[in-house]
Amino acid sequence: MDLLEPTREAFRLLFSGDAALWQIIWTSLYCSLLALALIAPPSIALGFLIAKVPFRGRRTLVVAVQALLSFPTVVIGLVIYMLLSRQGPLGFLKLLFTPEAIIVGYMVIALPVLVVFTLSAVQGADPRVYETARTLGAGRLRAAWTTLAEVRFGVMAAVFNGFGRVVSEVGCAIMVGGNIAGLTRNIPTAIALETSKGEFARGIALGFVLIVLALGINAALALLQGEGGME
Amino acid sequence: MIESFVVLTGLHKRYGARVLFEDARVQFARGASYVLTGDNGCGKTTLLRMLAGLEPAEAGVLRFDGVEAPLARYPEALRRSIVYVHQHPYLFHTTVADNVAYGLRVRGLPRAQCVPRVRDAIAWAGVEHLTGARAHKLSGGETQRVALARARVLEPRLLLLDEPTASLDAAAKRHAIELIERLAGGIASVVVACHDRDIIDLPGMIRLRVEDRRVVA
Repeated sequence: MDLLEPTREAFRLLFSGDAALWQIIWTSLYCSLLALALIAPPSIALGFLIAKVPFRGRRTLVVAVQALLSFPTVVIGLVIYMLLSRQGPLGFLKLLFTPEAIIVGYMVIALPVLVVFTLSAVQGADPRVYETARTLGAGRLRAAWTTLAEVRFGVMAAVFNGFGRVVSEVGCAIMVGGNIAGLTRNIPTAIALETSKGEFARGIALGFVLIVLALGINAALALLQGEGGME
Repeated sequence: MIESFVVLTGLHKRYGARVLFEDARVQFARGASYVLTGDNGCGKTTLLRMLAGLEPAEAGVLRFDGVEAPLARYPEALRRSIVYVHQHPYLFHTTVADNVAYGLRVRGLPRAQCVPRVRDAIAWAGVEHLTGARAHKLSGGETQRVALARARVLEPRLLLLDEPTASLDAAAKRHAIELIERLAGGIASVVVACHDRDIIDLPGMIRLRVEDRRVVA
C-alpha cells in the first residue's frame, strides 16, 4: 500500500479548510470538552470525599470505581443506548443519535478517570494541608479547595487523562451517536468509517489531528506542571 | 484571681487500647503563657490538637469564654479564636505573603485591609526579604517564622505551638524563641508543647505537665 500519497492528500485536506473534515473535528472537541466541563467538578468533589471522609463501604466503592476504568466503552455505550432508546426509561428525552447522547456517554467514561486520579492525588497530599487550612479558620469547603489547589498537578492530570480517554473513544460514540455526518460524526468514528471505505487520506488527516491533540495535552500538562510537578 | 477563659474538663482520649487522657482537666488564663511538658507519647500534641479541633475526643467539655460545648462537636466558631501551629508547619505552595494572608482571606477581609496586616506580620517575624518567595522552598527556621507570622496575624485568643524548636539549628532556634517570647508577652494566651529547656525557662511561662493521663501543674 502506498502511504505517501494518502498522507500528502491528508495534509492537503487539513490545510485546504475542508468543511466536512473540520465539522468532524469540531464535533469531537465540542462533545469532549463539554462532557469534561460538566463531569469534572462533581467527579473531583467525589474523589476528594472518598479520599478524606471515612465511611462504611469506602474500600468497596474505590474498587468499583477502579473497575470502571477498565470497563469497555462499547458496553457503556450499549447501556446508554438502551436507556435512551425510544422504549427505554429515558427515551422521552429524544437524545439518541444526538451530540448530547455522546456527551452523556463521555461523562460516564470520564467519571472513573477523574475520580480515581483525584482520589490518588488527595490521598497522596500531606495531611497537614487540610489541617492547616482548618486551623487558620477555613470552613470544610474552603479547606477542601485549598487541598485540591495544593495537589493541582494531580487534579490537572485527572482532567487531561479524562479528556484523552474520551477524545479518542470510538465504541460508545458510534453506539449512541450513530456516526451521522454533520451531526455526531467525530474523529474516531470518522477514522473507522473512512478506513472501512478505503478513504485513507481522510483517516490519516483525522488521525494526525488526534495525535496532535494527544501530544498537545501532554505538552500542556508538562508546561503547567513546570518545576512544581516534579517536586 | 486570674480568670480562666479556656477550661477543658472531663477529657477522655484513647488510641485503641491505649488511654491517653482519663477525666483530665486543664485551664488557661487570659493572656497567660504556658509550657506543656511530658514524656514522649504522653499526649501533649494530642491535647493541643483536640483543643484546636483537629482531633476528636471520646469525651470532654470545652468552655471558651463562658460558652460551653462538647469537644466531640467542636464549635466551628472556635477556629477563629484558636490557632494551632504544627511541629513541622506546612506552608502552602504560594508566596510567603499569600501564606500569611490566608487566614485573613478566609475571614473575608478585603485585600486593602489584608495588605498592611500581612506586611506588619512579616516584618514582625523578620522575614521581609522573603515576602515574595515561594514558601515551600524555605529552610526549616524560615518556615517556622513564617508559620508564626501566619498565626499571629490572625490575632488568636489562644495560640497552640507544638514543639516549635524541634529540629531547628541553633540560629533558627534562637530566632524562633525570640518570636515565641514576644508572642507570650502579647494579648493571646500561648501554650507551647515542648522539651526545650530554653522555652521552658522563659520568664513568665506557667509550667504544666502531662502525667498519668492528667494535666498537672
